[in-house]
Amino acid sequence: MKQRYVSRQAWAFLTPATFYVAAFSLCPMIVAAWLSLHDWHLLQDSRPFVGLANYRAAFADPFFRNALFNSIVFTVFSVPLGVALALAAAVLANQRLRGIAVFRTLFYIPSVTSGVAMAMVWLWVFMPNQGLINQCLRWCGGSGDTDFLGDTRWAMAALIVMSAVMGLGPRMVIFLAGLQSVPENLCEAAEVDGCNAWQRFRHVTLPTLAPTTFFVFVTSTISALQMFTPVYIMTQGGPRRTTDVVAYHIYQEAWHRLNIGMASAQSYVLLAATLLMATIQFTFMRRQESVLE
Amino acid sequence: MLCALAGCGRVQDGRTVLRVADWNGPAADPAFATSDRAIRADFERRHPGVRVEVESIPGPGQYVPKLIMTYVAGIPPDVITLEADSAAVFIDHGLLEDLAPLIRGDSAFELAGYFTNVVDMARRDDRLYAVPLDFTPIVILYNKRIFDEAGVAYPRSGWTRAEFLETALALTRGRAGGGAAARYGLTFSPEMPLWLPWIWAGGSDVLSPDGRHAAGYFNSPATVESIRFLVDLVRTRQVAPRLSATAVAGRDLFRAGEAAMTLTGHWSLIEYRADRMELGVADVPVRDSAPATVIYAAGLAISRASRQRALAWEYLKYMTSADVQRQRVACGLAISANIEVARSREGDGLELQFAAAIPHARAPWGARVGRYAMIEDLGRELMEDLLGSDLPVEPTVSRTAELMEAVLRQP
Amino acid sequence: MRMLRKVGWYALLMLLALATTGPLVWMVFTSLHPPLSPLPTPGQLFTPSRWAFDNYAYVLTFTGIPVARYFLNSLVVTAAVVALQLALCSTAAYALARLSFAGRQAVFAAFMLTMMLPATVMVVPLFFMVHELGWLNTYAGLIVPYPYLSTAFGTFLLRQFFLTLPRSLDEAARLDGASELQVFWHVILPSSKPALATLGAFAFIWTWTDFYWPMLATSTTDMRTLEVGLSIFKDAYGGTNWPLQMTAAVIVTVPALAVFLALQRYFVRGVVLSGIKG
Repeated sequence: MKQRYVSRQAWAFLTPATFYVAAFSLCPMIVAAWLSLHDWHLLQDSRPFVGLANYRAAFADPFFRNALFNSIVFTVFSVPLGVALALAAAVLANQRLRGIAVFRTLFYIPSVTSGVAMAMVWLWVFMPNQGLINQCLRWCGGSGDTDFLGDTRWAMAALIVMSAVMGLGPRMVIFLAGLQSVPENLCEAAEVDGCNAWQRFRHVTLPTLAPTTFFVFVTSTISALQMFTPVYIMTQGGPRRTTDVVAYHIYQEAWHRLNIGMASAQSYVLLAATLLMATIQFTFMRRQESVLE
Repeated sequence: MLCALAGCGRVQDGRTVLRVADWNGPAADPAFATSDRAIRADFERRHPGVRVEVESIPGPGQYVPKLIMTYVAGIPPDVITLEADSAAVFIDHGLLEDLAPLIRGDSAFELAGYFTNVVDMARRDDRLYAVPLDFTPIVILYNKRIFDEAGVAYPRSGWTRAEFLETALALTRGRAGGGAAARYGLTFSPEMPLWLPWIWAGGSDVLSPDGRHAAGYFNSPATVESIRFLVDLVRTRQVAPRLSATAVAGRDLFRAGEAAMTLTGHWSLIEYRADRMELGVADVPVRDSAPATVIYAAGLAISRASRQRALAWEYLKYMTSADVQRQRVACGLAISANIEVARSREGDGLELQFAAAIPHARAPWGARVGRYAMIEDLGRELMEDLLGSDLPVEPTVSRTAELMEAVLRQP
Repeated sequence: MRMLRKVGWYALLMLLALATTGPLVWMVFTSLHPPLSPLPTPGQLFTPSRWAFDNYAYVLTFTGIPVARYFLNSLVVTAAVVALQLALCSTAAYALARLSFAGRQAVFAAFMLTMMLPATVMVVPLFFMVHELGWLNTYAGLIVPYPYLSTAFGTFLLRQFFLTLPRSLDEAARLDGASELQVFWHVILPSSKPALATLGAFAFIWTWTDFYWPMLATSTTDMRTLEVGLSIFKDAYGGTNWPLQMTAAVIVTVPALAVFLALQRYFVRGVVLSGIKG
């Protein structure tokens, strides 16, 4: 009797949020799945059922394959770079130095500022001639006229560097938390054994941080697969489609080319990739969960 | 705020609201922005109780998709500034009101007062979907001072590619010690709307006459030859800058006096005249064909869903009237589609030269083919590919033709 | 030697700080150059020909692009989303953390699963759902679907916090005859202010800086949010008037930055508690 009462109470508390999640997370997924099986041009009334034709067409489309490739390139390079930079920042910010809290704040700032504003500023960083990087290069004796965002060899690299800096804050904070759990006595023991700083980092800190590193890797990968705003503001997928990543491609397919069915199929391909990463993350979180409880 | 929540907004502060969409054109030009505001204020004075609300949708490639979203959302503007090159999207999907009945029922409006080839861009049989505001043919503008200084004769009308090349070579001046030229004969954009005239003036086309096929047209020998001619201006003749050089300069080389000729439309005159450049207008050079070029035009259309049809029609008539047209084109934006206004400005030599291109100028494909924007994207990518690399011309053009064909074949 | 090492650490810290905040500094100072002045070089950055503070008045009262109106929209939307988010997540988290009932694990797992759904995938169907509801271009359309961003995340975050509160707190209240609602309202919530602040801070930043959804869900000038307005502002000037563009950028950035600086420690706590938002 008591059990049933508690259960009813519990559901009273759960209902609003559950309703929301169902209405605005699960329902869209079902709608997207339904749309992906239909051929629907936004301005046409008929939307015939076409089965898996959209998926077949998506994989046959050289431009979508190119977008998949770009997303993979972006992820494969930006994630390790971002994680390594965040780890380095965490190690730096973990030093017992005066004013270190200020630096932690400064490192976090890019990830709480407006994405559009930051993209506009980075547009300047990468500009030919007057851009920050080119001015520095010229100061170092270079020609300083590389058009980073307009050059097919550089545009993707530029976005990768930018994303590593922009996402620094949260990743660093997670690493900082991880660093707290590195046992001090182990470090001291290693120091007594004559290990230098690098060896201590390599053989004591890094192994202890392994679960944290893994976690940051997975979450970063998921967000890397969804990168959109910088492309929208800075490159519009160019030059020559070298930065046309999947999220931007889906946006174009849906709202510029108006192929809603095709865009939905493409978004399910992205979902499959993301879920693959999420499954790994979920298993991992469950393990952490049991530690917490 | 309550009003916004309810999604209405037809009437605000007791005034009827007429919503007008435009692409923000030269709004950054203060003179134009001021005159634009004055024109609308005058309309509001003539129609008490009416407020004109402008929805500006700036940004390259943003106008059409964002406007279509307003239709999908069920809140399209009452009046739409229609660009000829994307007119087909709106006309073919039935988003616009047929103006023919309104014109027939209004004795105060005379369609004959507007240039026919501009009016016809928004015509389907006996239905008409827009009244033209203004237009421009794409021409070659040249800097007279550079020609004089180099002792090169001004282009004659109907000049050939051979003559053009000779002129461009004479105008190009190398930099001491080699490298990029100090002055180019020509600068041109990889944007397809701006290099399309070379293909037309070469006597061929991008699509089949019915607009359904690109294969066999975009890669026809004559089209390939035109594209190769353009590419060679950069690659082998070096009379035009590489794309990277243009991007690095970060400015309009023609305006900076570092290129003697450019392909552009009337809108550029706003800036060039502000700089007091001495300009001439030349045809796009021909192969062994008749001169030809493309016209880009803007018109006003009424949304099919509009509940303010009568008021919108008044606005159309007002904006295209001679008085308002005279004010609008004064800043140099374009040629008025109102023949009376256009003629009245031909005292200006440059305007007359622009006018000379009108008889052999045609509507862009986008006025007839809804998916043409995608063709133009592929065209730009092709030109960027060719100008930024040493890819062979013919196979690259053929591959693009296949992609274009695939775009047109989609149901 | 120790001194030298210290200098080395500081040098590295400064270098990284320059990379993260240098662009921001440039943004702020460029916004104070007179309109239409050329891009400042690092040398000119701090010495404009005139300190153009009036850029801010100009941008805020610009007629074609009503930045002040965008600001209001952003404020309304963000405040509503934060309130909605706190209400939804705290109740659900309470049930998941404090009440035992059949299917708790399953519900929790389902919540966790939705956390992995990429926003990019949901936006297309959400658009049509909101359209069916007749909410496009309304505040309702901007506010209500937002929890897709983070209801599951917020629930998870608060649940983790509620689990750390001692059981004796609510047991005592229950013995005194308090209902679950009273326990939730009078015992759990007051003890959870830091966690609620964390979630509120995250919800604020995410909503304030979100671009994709408000871009799609609004199509008239008077309903745009600041973030979307900024992109329109940029397009209108097409990269020709950096001082004014940067002025607009600063106006968008300042509120988010202020909230972050005020609630900074809660951010850190939130990240540590959940490890989300990489």
